[in-house]
Amino acid sequence: MSTVLEQIEQQIAKLSSKGVKKNTGNIRTIADGVAKIDGLSDVMYNEMVQFPGNAIGIALNLEEDEVGCVILGDISNLKEGDEVTTTGRLLSVPVGKVLLGRTVDALGNPVDGKGPIDAKEFYPVERIAPGVVVRKSVSQALFTGIMAIDSMIPIGRGQRELIIGDRGTGKTTITIDTIINQARINRVGLASGDPKFRPVYSIYVAVGQKNSNIARTITALEAAGALEFTTIVAAPAADNPANLYLAPYSGAAMGEWFMENGMDALIVYDDLSKHAVAYRQISLILKRPSGREAYPGDVFYLHSRLLERAARLEGKGSLTALPIIETLAGDVSAYISTNVISITDGQIFLETDLFNQGIRPAISVGLSVSRVGSAAQIKATKQVGGKLKGELAQFRELAAFAQFGSDLDAKTKAQLDRGNRIVELFKQPAFSPLPIELQVAVLFAMQKGFFESIDIRKVVDAAASLKSFFTTRKDALLVEIRTKGALDAELEAKLQAACDEWKSSFAA
Amino acid sequence: MASHAKIAELFARQLFKLSMVGGAVSPEQVAGVLEYVEKHRPANPVVVLKAYHRFVAAELAKSEAVVEHAGAVNDAMLAAIAAAMTRQYGRPVVATAKPSAALIAGLRVRVGDDVYESSVAGQLAALASAV
Repeated sequence: MSTVLEQIEQQIAKLSSKGVKKNTGNIRTIADGVAKIDGLSDVMYNEMVQFPGNAIGIALNLEEDEVGCVILGDISNLKEGDEVTTTGRLLSVPVGKVLLGRTVDALGNPVDGKGPIDAKEFYPVERIAPGVVVRKSVSQALFTGIMAIDSMIPIGRGQRELIIGDRGTGKTTITIDTIINQARINRVGLASGDPKFRPVYSIYVAVGQKNSNIARTITALEAAGALEFTTIVAAPAADNPANLYLAPYSGAAMGEWFMENGMDALIVYDDLSKHAVAYRQISLILKRPSGREAYPGDVFYLHSRLLERAARLEGKGSLTALPIIETLAGDVSAYISTNVISITDGQIFLETDLFNQGIRPAISVGLSVSRVGSAAQIKATKQVGGKLKGELAQFRELAAFAQFGSDLDAKTKAQLDRGNRIVELFKQPAFSPLPIELQVAVLFAMQKGFFESIDIRKVVDAAASLKSFFTTRKDALLVEIRTKGALDAELEAKLQAACDEWKSSFAA
Repeated sequence: MASHAKIAELFARQLFKLSMVGGAVSPEQVAGVLEYVEKHRPANPVVVLKAYHRFVAAELAKSEAVVEHAGAVNDAMLAAIAAAMTRQYGRPVVATAKPSAALIAGLRVRVGDDVYESSVAGQLAALASAV
């Protein structure tokens, strides 16, 4: 009872202060979610301002006579002449583990109908990225569960890896697979009781996506049991451009909490093309000078300051970013694409042609790269898949060249045959990421020629059979690969024996 | 290329600067500006004069403390407020009283963009937004 009274007394004490100073202004014009305000002479850049009816805005343009604000929330009740007041605060969002399993909007308000979020901490949406002194080089793997990526384009904790491709090429699927894989690894790791195990928490930021797509993503994550380790920040296509502009920064703030508190987090920005478009819309309404493709001059800074916030920190945790960019007709040289390519530590390029040929994930090996490289791979993957990228790139070149001639020498034929098998082996259905130990086993079998004698059309079935054989009958061996992280002579012998056993049963 | 409205705004700002003498709006200068505009009509005289009016009004508001009150306010209190605001802003500020029953009780002092709120209505509004 006394606590309740104390709360009321504190509230009274707050209210009975002698006077409150406010800096005010009046709406001069309002259109498309942007208001021009007279007054507000004390307002700071990026400061939150209070509109009538609980709508808030952010001061983005500080001019001699007026202030340009983007409005977050319902603007239908605002009108010319309404009073606006400064708050002295920067826009902040709730952070912490309470957000896991929840879907929130760009301001951190829950939109999933699961009740209010009882957050103890708030982080500002805009923050300066960590500097060079506190950063540590990326050397710990973040497994996506996609064999083609983990073996050829490895991603490390704290890395920024762009996923780029035309619409409908499986960009979102790759990120959902990665989130599902983190959840699977988290469950295994937490159950093992290993004190050194570091779970990876995920944040999926949907910018300008259809509500139906967001719902589908939530359903997929829920079905895979990954939602409990994930926060979804939803700024759907129907949201106002200010929310679309802010959502990635809000997600980054939520991810930074994990990083600052010694944990690892993964953030997906789906997608930054629509983010740039939303920012262009705001900038044009604010009458900022426009440049190439009508984007404002600071569109590079828009993404660089966002992606620079992903890092691995000395003595703390990490934030890995997977931004997505949608290309038009496979053109990677467009304005926003080249900007984001130059900011990130590599890109995974998805090709429509490969996708239509049934090669999924449709990763173009030649155009995809990870600048962190093998530093973010475990030794076992390096041992079995070290040369794969080169082999596959060579195969694609040879395959294109071989279309023009029928007479091929035996060596070229063998290379093409091997390449085709690798391509078949890397085919992987959506939402079924593979544990790294299983990837090592499959790649080991491939390197040792266990798929050579199998008809190419049956390689996918053979790989599925091998995976099933290992998961059902060689679980102890998989655990040994996972714990050791490298293949020694003893482990190689065991793998060889297991593959022999599988081959005899498969052939039979 | 700047729009017509922007050009009118820039012109109005120039006229406003001409109206200032020693950091304050000079009635003589304002009269002179109005006479000039009458003689040499700009392209959008109404837009120019509206913007000019806004600038002058904003400047004049900085030197006037409008004291909204729900109870009785005597001359001594107004003089004290004017003195306090003059000290605060470093320029002469004149206080004028404006009764406002909507405040329920207390005062609200407005000087330019700044509002000093010490009224029951303000406290109730703060409570409503805090709950």
